[in-house]
Amino acid sequence: MTDWTHLTEAVGELNEEEVLKILEEFIASNPTEEEAQKVVSACQSGMNIVGERFEAGEYFVGDLIFAGELLNEAIGTLKPVIGSASDKKVGSIVLGTVHGDLHDIGKNIFRSMAEAAGFEVHDLGIDQPVEAFVDKVKQVKPQIVGMSGVLTLALEAMKETIDGLNAEGLRNNVKIIIGGNPVTKEVCEHVGADAWTTNAAEGVKICQGWVN
Amino acid sequence: MADVKALQQERISIYHDVFDNKIPKRVPVNLSFALEVVAQYGKLNLVEAQWNPEILEEAADKMCRKVYSDVCVFSGTFRFPSFYQALKSRSFVMSSIGFIQHPEVIGMLPEDYDYLIEKPYDCILERVIPRQYEAFDLDDPINTVINFTKSMLAYNNDFMQAGMIIGKMTEKHGYYPGSLFSGGFTEAPFDLLADQLRSFKGISMDIRRMPDKVAAACEALYPIAFKKGLPAKPSKYAPVFIPLHMPTFMREKDFEKLFWPTFKRMVEEYASMGVHCNLFCEDDWTRYLDYLYDLPTDTVLMFEYGDPKLIKEKLGKKHIITGLYPIMNLKTKPTEECVDEAKRYIDILAPGGKYIFGFDKNPLLLDDINLESYCAVAETVRDYGVYSNPGETAGMEFNKEDYKVEPSRKFESKYYKTWDQYKALNPEVSDFGSPKLQGLEEAVFQYIMYLMM
Ligand code: B12
Repeated sequence: MTDWTHLTEAVGELNEEEVLKILEEFIASNPTEEEAQKVVSACQSGMNIVGERFEAGEYFVGDLIFAGELLNEAIGTLKPVIGSASDKKVGSIVLGTVHGDLHDIGKNIFRSMAEAAGFEVHDLGIDQPVEAFVDKVKQVKPQIVGMSGVLTLALEAMKETIDGLNAEGLRNNVKIIIGGNPVTKEVCEHVGADAWTTNAAEGVKICQGWVN
Repeated sequence: MADVKALQQERISIYHDVFDNKIPKRVPVNLSFALEVVAQYGKLNLVEAQWNPEILEEAADKMCRKVYSDVCVFSGTFRFPSFYQALKSRSFVMSSIGFIQHPEVIGMLPEDYDYLIEKPYDCILERVIPRQYEAFDLDDPINTVINFTKSMLAYNNDFMQAGMIIGKMTEKHGYYPGSLFSGGFTEAPFDLLADQLRSFKGISMDIRRMPDKVAAACEALYPIAFKKGLPAKPSKYAPVFIPLHMPTFMREKDFEKLFWPTFKRMVEEYASMGVHCNLFCEDDWTRYLDYLYDLPTDTVLMFEYGDPKLIKEKLGKKHIITGLYPIMNLKTKPTEECVDEAKRYIDILAPGGKYIFGFDKNPLLLDDINLESYCAVAETVRDYGVYSNPGETAGMEFNKEDYKVEPSRKFESKYYKTWDQYKALNPEVSDFGSPKLQGLEEAVFQYIMYLMM
């Protein structure tokens, strides 16, 4: 039984060199799939630390981006030993940037943090029309729909998207969270979402609250 | 007509008072709408109006009559599709609803750092522009020249057309003939590196992986960024506009080492020539207020978020404050609440002068706001923001002699020639050609760097 706390901490510290060193040594030891899954979880727990530090104002958006890349790199390194045994998902999210808006930095940060927390995320991409959300929700029946937008012009698009889900009778099957710079409590009420945030870590917590 | 002229005089004096560290007669109402909002107000096709800005004149005039402001209510745009699309831009593209935006694209790779540091302008032209602008194709030089020429002609044409409407409206409605942008437009060296060259994500990685190269790249880009913003005719009433993007997404220690030194030097170098900067402190700068205090007196600071009380307390005697009023109010709150809120901002920010009323961001489309609330707020500022002590001294005084900067790297590239360099290569060209040819050299530089901002 190896204790992987130091790996979790290295991820939390965003110490790339250390993380990669630990992972290379691990791979060289010819691990089992089960062991490899533990290492993946240890990395993902490191993302929790990153999220906490972000909420505490010690880390900033640039650090979240770095953390997302670091996690990708770690999982990439572990790919050959992880095998196919997929871990159980805690819930599923359909995510996208609404029509009119081309931004995805915030959306991608939220996606990598939600994935690290065990969610299955169906990312539609940027500038997505109402039908794209409607069709995907019909197809994968997620618990949660996440919408992102950086420009104020995205807010009416969020409202139209929610109205679209409503018209198809899908609104009550999902919880809806909106995020991005112009989002506020009043905007949340105006567009008819269930929750709002301008902080990806808090967004993940809200989603966790919904599926537990 | 006489009324319009008198109104224009009043507007000129309230803006000039702010820069002359005097209390003006009233708080300047610095509100305007971009092209897209005006097009929608005139029920014009959004895309057509961006291609043919001349069709906006009637709508602009109608908007000027509807909304009170001390500057022209129609502000044009930074982003015309003509010159971006003629060059097949990847970094400025139109979204599905016809609004031009900047997606996250990478113009410079990590392995380009050394060349950027050695020859920054050459690197931008040879490597970055071809990646960001697909019609600038080095394998197809003749078409590249043609595409480039079309793009630059469109750039000159469209800005001139929008400028003509602004000029007409300014005369007709007696607006302040200047603006908080009229000196020029540039970016901090770090943001220049981040926005279009390395990308938001790329720079976030580089800060941790290769901070020394980032610092050296900012030094290398300094002369380019400085030259880009340098006003043709320096004036203390015509600030250089510099939007600030990355600082709030960085740790303070990275900001202090990588962002601040070249940026501060830039603002001081302009100050040493008697020129102010108008800094758009995007997002929330609360943790950097002490740094801002250190900038030259009478820097215009436009804020997006932050506590107006704290900002006024810390910076209000030295700098000129604008922004902060949340534009989202105008969509989500009833008009009376919006008006009360405007009075609250004035009560906090106006006393002692050095304040210009503005929003935290401009609406991008007409739907972003309730226009009636917008008008009510504008009129409230005009009528409520009146000083009882005009003419008194407002805070600290600016002296350009206080600012001296160490000489920095020179701007040098085989793609830019000073008159002497040009003359040495082309001795047959008469010196009478100097102002014209040098003016064109300068115009090409300005246009090329505009593509990078
Ligand atoms: C960086 C920046 C740029 C860069 C973009 C670089 C790039 N590669 O993307 C550049 C310089 C190119 C740029 C250009 C422009 N910009 Co700009 N820009 C910004 C700035 C400073 C930061 C935006 C950003 O990326 N933030 C970082 C991300 C990560 O934050 P975020 O999206 O909010 O995401 C966080 C949370 O909200 C959350 N989240 C996000 N989505 C979701 C979804 C869910 C479901 C959940 C749970 C959470 C979540 O997670 C993230 C981490 O916590 C903002 C100011 C601001 N306050 O945001 C202006 C801003 C967005 N820009 C603005 C403007 C006007 C422009 C321009 C139009 C200017 C012009 N005339 O050219 C252009 C073109 C438009 C464009 N952006 O495409 C305005 C928009 C105004 C408005 N009315 O909306 C802003 C608000 C500045 C301002 N105050 O005026 N911009």
